[in-house]
Amino acid sequence: MTRQRADILLRQAAGSFFAIAILLVQLLVAPQVAANEESAFSLHGFGTLGLARTTGNQAEFVRDLSQPRGATDHWDARVDSVLGLQANWQLTPQLEAVIQATSRYRYDRTFTPEISWAFLKYDPNPQLSLRAGRLGTEFFMLADSRLVGYSYLPVRPPGDFFWYLPFYAIDGADLAVTVPVGEDVLRGKVYYGVSDANIPLADKQWKIDGSAMAGGYLDYQAGAWLFRLSYANIRFSHEMPIDDVLAAYLPPAQAAQASQYLTTANTRSHYYSLGAIYDSGPWLFQLMLNKIKQGSNIFQSSEGGYVLAGYRIAQVTPYLGYSWIHSDSRGNTLNPVVASIMADSHADQNTTILGARWDFAHNMAIKAQWDAIRGEPASIFPYRQERAAWTGKTDVFSVTMDFVF
Amino acid sequence: MNSSRLRLLFFIACLLLLPAGEALAELVVVVNARSGVAVMTRNEIINIFFGRYRQFFNGVEAQPVDLVDSHADRARFYSALVGKDLSDVNAYWSRQVFSGRMQPPPRVANPDEVMKWVSAHPGGIGFVDLAKADARVRVVYEFKP
Repeated sequence: MTRQRADILLRQAAGSFFAIAILLVQLLVAPQVAANEESAFSLHGFGTLGLARTTGNQAEFVRDLSQPRGATDHWDARVDSVLGLQANWQLTPQLEAVIQATSRYRYDRTFTPEISWAFLKYDPNPQLSLRAGRLGTEFFMLADSRLVGYSYLPVRPPGDFFWYLPFYAIDGADLAVTVPVGEDVLRGKVYYGVSDANIPLADKQWKIDGSAMAGGYLDYQAGAWLFRLSYANIRFSHEMPIDDVLAAYLPPAQAAQASQYLTTANTRSHYYSLGAIYDSGPWLFQLMLNKIKQGSNIFQSSEGGYVLAGYRIAQVTPYLGYSWIHSDSRGNTLNPVVASIMADSHADQNTTILGARWDFAHNMAIKAQWDAIRGEPASIFPYRQERAAWTGKTDVFSVTMDFVF
Repeated sequence: MNSSRLRLLFFIACLLLLPAGEALAELVVVVNARSGVAVMTRNEIINIFFGRYRQFFNGVEAQPVDLVDSHADRARFYSALVGKDLSDVNAYWSRQVFSGRMQPPPRVANPDEVMKWVSAHPGGIGFVDLAKADARVRVVYEFKP
């Protein structure tokens, strides 16, 4: 109770701080803005109209854990469709305000628009960048532009790599430092904040708002190569809503013990990753590896990765990729009910990705992709509504139209 | 060598050189003449135009200026600089803008505007045809046709 109240107070304080900061900045820089010849205010947007289907109805395919329902053997527009609008306001050459709203199929089964970013960015010099407010998280490379289909090659970021990452934003701050190394560039970033999100869980939702996230990364850009080492962690603030399931299947004493055993509140999950991108001329090559250490017994620690290669021929870029995820089942499961809950987070599969992107018009692209998912029947973690007949194997066909404006 | 043969040689030379000179007007990177920058490498230019690091070696903050998509020099520039199509460049900037990391260089309509921008900003840097470059700017990089 106290904790929740503290969270609310903290968020209110952050909110009013943000409002006051903007007001102050407005007052301070208003004359300068008027005198500035360059456009200080800009409005841009991005979007994807997407259709996806699988070859079976034993499990529903989702883009990541933030989606409660997914695609089966009927074309489904919910998986990839998204619309985003962003306003940038350059208050001074060093100070910028950014606000972004997005609408996509989310945890509560609606397309309710959300404020995805709202922050002030202060770049006192080319080496330093500070941001405060609601910010995108970069647990893994490219994770903060996962919704901007136009910005990447495949239909969606490879699921085997990104499924465990339903976090999109933090209310907090980050600091980035850029240092030239000869002609190369070294960039480091650290961030801290609290989450403001929910994760759908069967017919319920798991609140992860108030969960503290912290992390950082090091980028090394050498010509066409970009390397990244990153680390992040989240300390969950709420329990998963599993107590009524436990109570329904277990006697009270065992249910209490199981609840204790599967606790998520105050457990910490750690995310490590390594990425390399080669982007030169018509070639694009990406390699990403991750390792996730889960603090709570309810989740399985995992390792995943992907490779992706594309080659542009005029306006069409065919690409080929391969991704994988393997999670480790825990030994001690207490009893069969707990074991079945713990088995829910098991993932053991690989995916071959084949597709093409066609830049058919200015700032617009059409993509078509085939994902051949080959996994074990026990690999049910990334899916929704899986049935007993689930084999772990399915094919996903996707067509999207991406645009920016 | 008699004069008529010389004239013929000259005529052939003109035939060979003129069309080449017209079709491959040389694109150059220019900076503000007072920036203190005399020469740059391709990677330094990439770092500035792609926002990786916007500072010259002497500590002056770089202020790049770009052209609108509809001007043919924009496609020529990025093709010569990184071998990339404009849709790749625009996809790159949509990632930077919508992740809230940074804004692309401002875009102007034509090379005259580029020259105006570069000469008006101490750290101004842009690309124009060599013939456009005058005393207000300094050529720091030439793309060999």
